[in-house]
Amino acid sequence: MGGHSSWPEWIYIGVVVALLVWVGAEAWNVERLVEHIPAEAKTIIVTGQQWFWTFEHEDGTKEIGELHVKKGIPYKFEIGSKDVIHSFNIPDYLVLMDAVPGRINVVWFLPVEEGEYPIQCREYCGLLHYNMRGTLYVEDGA
Amino acid sequence: MVLELAKPRPIWYIMFSTHHTDIGLLYMITSLAFLFMGGALAIAIRMELFYPGVQFIADSMTFNRMFTIHGTTMIFLFILPFASGVGNYFVPIIVRYKDMAYPKLNAIAFWMIPPAGALVWLSFADFGWYAQPPYSLISSPAPAADMWIFGLKILGVSSILGAINFIVTILKCKHPDLPLSKMPLLGWSFLSSSIIMIVAMPTFAAALLMLLMDRMGVTGFFNPAMGGDPIAYAHLFWFTFHPEVYVLVIPAIGMMYEIIPRFSRKPIFSQGSGMFAFIMLALVSFASWGHHMFATGMSFTEKTVFMIGTLAAVPASAMHVFNFLATMWGGRIKFATPMMWATGGIALFFAAGAGGVVNTAMPLDFITHDSYWVVGHFHLFVFGTIAFGSIGFLYYMFPYITGRMYHEKLGQVHFILSFVGAVMVFFTQHILGLFGMPRRVFDYPPIPEWIAMNQLAGVGAFLILAGSVIFLGNLIYSSGKGKDADMDDPFGLGGKYYYPYQAKTPHH
Amino acid sequence: MLSILVILPSVQYVFAAEEPGEYLDRRVEIWNLFFRMMTVAFVVGAVVSGTLIWLIWRFRESHPKAKPTSYEEKGVW
Repeated sequence: MGGHSSWPEWIYIGVVVALLVWVGAEAWNVERLVEHIPAEAKTIIVTGQQWFWTFEHEDGTKEIGELHVKKGIPYKFEIGSKDVIHSFNIPDYLVLMDAVPGRINVVWFLPVEEGEYPIQCREYCGLLHYNMRGTLYVEDGA
Repeated sequence: MVLELAKPRPIWYIMFSTHHTDIGLLYMITSLAFLFMGGALAIAIRMELFYPGVQFIADSMTFNRMFTIHGTTMIFLFILPFASGVGNYFVPIIVRYKDMAYPKLNAIAFWMIPPAGALVWLSFADFGWYAQPPYSLISSPAPAADMWIFGLKILGVSSILGAINFIVTILKCKHPDLPLSKMPLLGWSFLSSSIIMIVAMPTFAAALLMLLMDRMGVTGFFNPAMGGDPIAYAHLFWFTFHPEVYVLVIPAIGMMYEIIPRFSRKPIFSQGSGMFAFIMLALVSFASWGHHMFATGMSFTEKTVFMIGTLAAVPASAMHVFNFLATMWGGRIKFATPMMWATGGIALFFAAGAGGVVNTAMPLDFITHDSYWVVGHFHLFVFGTIAFGSIGFLYYMFPYITGRMYHEKLGQVHFILSFVGAVMVFFTQHILGLFGMPRRVFDYPPIPEWIAMNQLAGVGAFLILAGSVIFLGNLIYSSGKGKDADMDDPFGLGGKYYYPYQAKTPHH
Repeated sequence: MLSILVILPSVQYVFAAEEPGEYLDRRVEIWNLFFRMMTVAFVVGAVVSGTLIWLIWRFRESHPKAKPTSYEEKGVW
């Protein structure tokens, strides 16, 4: 110990804190933007159960394991579960929200490109967790 | 000393001893046994994922049981007991007391671990190491889950007893000539981690009891079918286990604080900032548990608070890194095996911390949550930092324990294999997470990037396995047949170092 | 902490206005944030690991300019 000066450490801590403030502020700002759900978003009720996904559109049509949506329309997922905790995940659209029994969690997204995208379960839910998959079809809705 | 074959003692002398070095040795041998058992499961998991499709594990349930027991073993049966072993060995020597404050309690705390370990391993439960309800309530087969809960219960009690013993030893049995501010940072690390343990652990103990009663159908705390809330369990669990992350990492940092100045031939750069950072970590560790639950439907405000709480832990960790680097600056560093492990540990500690900052930035949770990114991230802590510090320290203690020297070249080969392996496995897993692969999966669709990266990680795992085999051989061979160590200065560093060799002969 | 709890929701409310008919693409926002942070992380990582590697290279005991530290003379550190 002894004869060292501590100013390099103070500068270092200052830089670290400044970087962390920047990270926090940026994250806060982006989270605020992506969490704001557009008022005209269409609701899709998503239900997870061991080990498949059920989707119910606003007009009452139901789909199992497949989800058809129209390009350019914002959708709001209302996610629930019938048995254990699952996590509804469309990796290509960064949609991720746990399906918790007894709760409804909400997340929204905007499909922008036509195509097929995988849907998967991201929270461990038992025997066929690895195969609790589905497909998102984004179709031209114009 | 203890295992020194020049003056052998019957094994039951050690087993029924209450002397702190004997119990420390028992802790360390037990934890190493569990390290190799848990490591074998890790290798099996990586081999199964080497190709998509089913390889050699019969079904996904077996796989699920394997990752559950792998996690439980590494956290509760390797890292915690190993740290306790080092603490038992060194804390009384650091505070210049003849033994731990409560020697019999110490022995009891150790002897709870083997039966608890047996319960965990015989249960081979399947619900992941955090036993998430309602899965653990309605889907897990009966004897397995209940045995696991009892095993964890016993381990929790054992950790609390150990923590009480450390705190009392440090605060009450410290030599009056040694002010707390001059106590070596290894001692500080045990003081701060024990305090976290005592504050955090009872919550998990309560949650386990509630879980058990829920499983028996008596109550419905976490069972939505009975009006309970599974998220409440997540809060209770992570209120214990986020601080627990610091309980695991702080002793490893303390071990690095022991190794780095010693081999740099300089005193630690700043005792004060080391102590301050330990205290900061102990306080701030309780402000961040919610970041594990960003995806459970938390509000924006809750997320923000927990993000700030998580970021607040970073400056203290960064101070440790600064302290290490500043200690090495201007030294004359001997890169013997322990120093290599400590230096590698610093590098991986930084990488883990940087990944942690990215994790906690709220929107990025949509990318990383429950993906392989998270697996890579926390393994950089538990393997890259904690196991690196611990294994380095084991090499450092080896001559003091056995009176013999380990094989230096083999120790260095072990380090290089483990370091390269760790980078290959865990950095690759970060990228795998960015490609969207979920964790805890038995099988995955044949996406070319996923296959390639799983194979890269598999090769890395084999490097670590090769290193571990060398490690085990080195330990066994050198403790019996190694060269006699110079007990005053086993690493040829020169200078008087004040305490490890004082434990050369146990006082009964 | 209290100020955080009070200020953040109100600021969120003020800023949350949005043009109708134009929607934000969460992929763009989140991945951009990710790459901004990765840029910084890799710069910081380069500085830290560069320092570490330089320290290892310069202060190893086999370095030509290595000299005993001042503590070695006294033999205590």
